[in-house]
Amino acid sequence: MAALRLLIASLLSVLLAGIWQSGLAVEDLTEAEYRIKAAFLYKFGDYVQWPQSAFASPSGTFQIGVIGADTLADQLEQIVAGHTMADHPVIVRKLKAGEALNGLHLVFIGRSQGAKLTPLLDTLRGRPVLTVTESDSDTAGVINFVVVDDKVRFDVLLPTAEEDSLKISARLLTVARRVIKGGS
Amino acid sequence: MRTRALRSLRVKLLLVDLLTTLAALTVALGAMVAYDLRAYHRNWINDMTTQAQLLGSTVAPALSFDDPALATENLSFLRSRAKVRAAAVYNARGGLFATWSSEHWNRAFPSLPGEEGAHVEGRNLVVFKRIIEHGEILGTVYLCADYELYSRVADYSVIALLVALAAMLVAFLTSSRLQQIVSDPVLAIRKVAREVIDTRDYSRRARKASDDEVGELVEAFNAMLTEIERRTGELEASNRRLATEIQERTRSEEEIARLNQELESRVRTRTAELESANRELEAFCSSVSHDLRAPLRAVDGFSQVLEQEYAAALPQEARRYLARIRGGTLRMAHLIEDLLNLSRVSRVTLERRQVDLATIATEVVDELRGGEPHRVVDISIWDGMMGYGDPRLLRAALENLISNAWKFTSRTEQARIEIGVLRDNAQTTYFVRDNGAGFDMAHCDKLFGAFQRLHSVREFPGTGVGLATVRRIVERHGGRIWADARVGKGAVFFFTLAVADGDSASDAAQGPVKSVA
Repeated sequence: MAALRLLIASLLSVLLAGIWQSGLAVEDLTEAEYRIKAAFLYKFGDYVQWPQSAFASPSGTFQIGVIGADTLADQLEQIVAGHTMADHPVIVRKLKAGEALNGLHLVFIGRSQGAKLTPLLDTLRGRPVLTVTESDSDTAGVINFVVVDDKVRFDVLLPTAEEDSLKISARLLTVARRVIKGGS
Repeated sequence: MRTRALRSLRVKLLLVDLLTTLAALTVALGAMVAYDLRAYHRNWINDMTTQAQLLGSTVAPALSFDDPALATENLSFLRSRAKVRAAAVYNARGGLFATWSSEHWNRAFPSLPGEEGAHVEGRNLVVFKRIIEHGEILGTVYLCADYELYSRVADYSVIALLVALAAMLVAFLTSSRLQQIVSDPVLAIRKVAREVIDTRDYSRRARKASDDEVGELVEAFNAMLTEIERRTGELEASNRRLATEIQERTRSEEEIARLNQELESRVRTRTAELESANRELEAFCSSVSHDLRAPLRAVDGFSQVLEQEYAAALPQEARRYLARIRGGTLRMAHLIEDLLNLSRVSRVTLERRQVDLATIATEVVDELRGGEPHRVVDISIWDGMMGYGDPRLLRAALENLISNAWKFTSRTEQARIEIGVLRDNAQTTYFVRDNGAGFDMAHCDKLFGAFQRLHSVREFPGTGVGLATVRRIVERHGGRIWADARVGKGAVFFFTLAVADGDSASDAAQGPVKSVA
């Protein structure tokens, strides 16, 4: 059912992309896509290991920052309600470009940010923050969503993860569309 | 019979061995197979459950990130596990997410995941295993694998059968050799026992080959044989002794019989000799008596002629001598007469019948009174004295007894003679009683002998043959005679006669009846 809906949504998005910025159909498409992506975000927590230093205390919160994708943030909040990520209570924060990014463990940067993506990523580089983008670039966040054959898939950039002191589970890599390793 | 018994014990031992082997094999193989099957069942379930868990762990990311292709790829690694026939992954909502099956799998995947766990469906083991990551159920793994318990049972049965056959064969071969250790000594004893029975040779002994129970049996058997041998020897010796004794006894019995026979024949010879001698004596006596009569008659006759014709011419003294000659010849005539009577009594044949002794006694008394009419004697004769015997001989007996009584009362005042009969149960005793001279009982043993006299001829005349004659008569009638007397007081003579059948002697004798005064 979800796949069918996604299929219809994808077709519509291809047809109407750039023509209509608003409209019910587009709105639906975004919502379905973001629901899947929100679920994926939550599940990344199972396959990524943050360094101990990333948390203020063992009972500290796991903070997710969502930039430029409020729909996803809403979906995610529903998903994580009552759940933990990396054994910590989860807080979802809707952020805007330019806001301070301190204390975050996972940051999703929506495609609406466009050119602001790279500065954001630069800001977060070197910190134990799992950056997730919707960019197809080989130099984007640690995990980057792509839609292939109407399905949400993702690429993993291991050098970036390493740089950010994050350990990505090999099991996650089996599901990834592409795994970009160091040196490439 | 010999070979059958021989085989019987061996076959039994063999059977025992084989059955024991079979039982041990059955138990051991059964236990092994049961243990193995149980282990197989558990291990296989564990194996498949673990496999399902591993599979779940592998496909968890694919489920999490909605990648059925990856899940299918993950499942297809099960190719390497030949026993796994099919596998599937269901998502959290129960939808079929990914499947994989081997070429020969023709079943359908369950449309919904079943209860977690493993269970056997016919020849398949079906496992459902939930995929849980961080406390969340991501989906369910389905595994279907071969469950080979039944084919294993079949395989084990064949193996067990083969093993059992091989073991039985080995047991048969070893047992048929080893059982001889047990059976041979027993059969040896049996052989000796058979020989002992057949030949009765108790000196045979079984050989002791071992120190076990069979050895003890051999010892006991030999001890028994020794005992039997000893007893048989004793018995035979005793039998021999007995046989000897019996032989001796038989011999002495034969000797006794022979002696008896000899004795009898001697008795017969002697009796015959005696009878012959008696006959000769009697014949002699008779002929002598007859022959004596003629010269005696001549002496008497011529003496009489001399007395009558020449009495006048003879002197007084010669006449007196003649008288004495005649007295002597008369006595001699009487003696000869009595001797002839005695001899006759011994020889005549008895002609018995019922005789009235009272009548005979009366006739005798009448004759005596006729001879001496001047004598006064009180004579009583009991009535109805019947006797069974020869009338002439009984008359002779009574004549003798009554004339004796008559004679010995000749000097008695108020002479009295009683002739009667006494009866008790079966015996009839006749008696003749007088109150005459009597005699001394000291001499009674001589009383009935011939020529035995208790009184001088001068006192009472007689020949001394009368009572001998009476005794001979009574004895010839099967009776007995005896006497009782006192000197001067009289005498009683008792006699009995053999009783004839239907004797009526007692009919009328009721008491003394004085017949003549």
